[in-house]
Amino acid sequence: MDAYFYIILVVGLLSSIICVAAGILKKAPNDTTILSVAAVELALLVYLVGSIVRVASGEQIAGESWEFWGYLATALILPIGAVYWSILERTRWSNFVLAAVGVTALVMAARMNQIWY
Amino acid sequence: MEEAENVNAKSSQEGTGNPAGSASGITGAADAGPAAAGSTEAGSTQTGAAQTAPATDTRNTGPGRLLIAVYAVFAISATARAGYQILTKFSEAPLAYLLSAFAAAVYVVATVSLAKPGRTAFKVSVAAVLVELVGVLVVGALSVFDSVNFPHETVWSLFGRGYGFIPLLLPILGLIWLYRRRPAPRQH
Repeated sequence: MDAYFYIILVVGLLSSIICVAAGILKKAPNDTTILSVAAVELALLVYLVGSIVRVASGEQIAGESWEFWGYLATALILPIGAVYWSILERTRWSNFVLAAVGVTALVMAARMNQIWY
Repeated sequence: MEEAENVNAKSSQEGTGNPAGSASGITGAADAGPAAAGSTEAGSTQTGAAQTAPATDTRNTGPGRLLIAVYAVFAISATARAGYQILTKFSEAPLAYLLSAFAAAVYVVATVSLAKPGRTAFKVSVAAVLVELVGVLVVGALSVFDSVNFPHETVWSLFGRGYGFIPLLLPILGLIWLYRRRPAPRQH
C-alpha cells in the first residue's frame, strides 16, 4: 500500500463519515457533504497524475495495466455521478448515496494498489 | 403502521429538502418535480382505496435512490469483472464466468427496473431481486460445500464475502423496499 492509497483512505473515510452523519441528522446534501466528495475526486486526480508520472518515468505496473487504468477511470467518474444524482433529488437519502463514494473509492484504491505491485 | 411511518419520514425529508433546494437556483427547479410527485403520492397512500392512481412512483425516490445507486455500482463492477474474465481467461472456468455474466445481467436489470416507475417495472424489479437472492444463496452454498469443484470467482461466491456481504444484504433490503412501496391493487 503506497501513499496514494493512504491519502484516499483518509479522505474517503472522512467524506463517508461526514455524509452519513449529515444523512442521520436529516440534512439535504449541502456544501460540506458535496465538497467532501469533491475532496475524494481531488485525491483520485492526484493518484491519476502521480500514476501517469510514474509510468512516464519508466515504472512498470505488475498486473494488467489496462485493468489499473479501468479502475482509476471508473473511480474518477463515481464522485461526479453521485453528486449529479444527489442534486437531482435533494433529500437526506442523497447524503447516503454521497457516503457510498468514499468507501467505494477506498476499495477501488486498494484494488489498484494490488494491481500496481 | 409501516405506511404511517413512511409518510412521516417522507414529510420530514421534504421539510429539510425543499428549503435547501430553493436556496440554489439550478437545483431548485430540478428538485420541484420529484418532491411534488412525492407529496401527492404520500397523500394518495393516506386516502387509500379511493385512489385509482397506483402508488408506484415513490419507489424511485428517497431511500429508493440509495438502493438504485448501490445496484448501479454493483451492475458496473459485476459487468466489468465478468467482461474481463470472459475476455481474458474464459477457458479456465467457463461455468463460473458465465455465472459472473449472468449476475451482472441481473444487477443491470434490477438497477434499470428499480429506477423506472410503473407496474411492469415493479414486477421486473421483484423478479430480478428474487433471482438475485436465489443466486447468492445457491452459489454461496455451492461455493462453501463444494469448494473444490466450485471456483471462488463470482460476485456471489461465499455469499458475496469478497464484496463485504453486500450482495447478500442487497436483495433482502430490495425486497423489503419493494414490499413497502408495492403498487395499490388494480381498481375495476
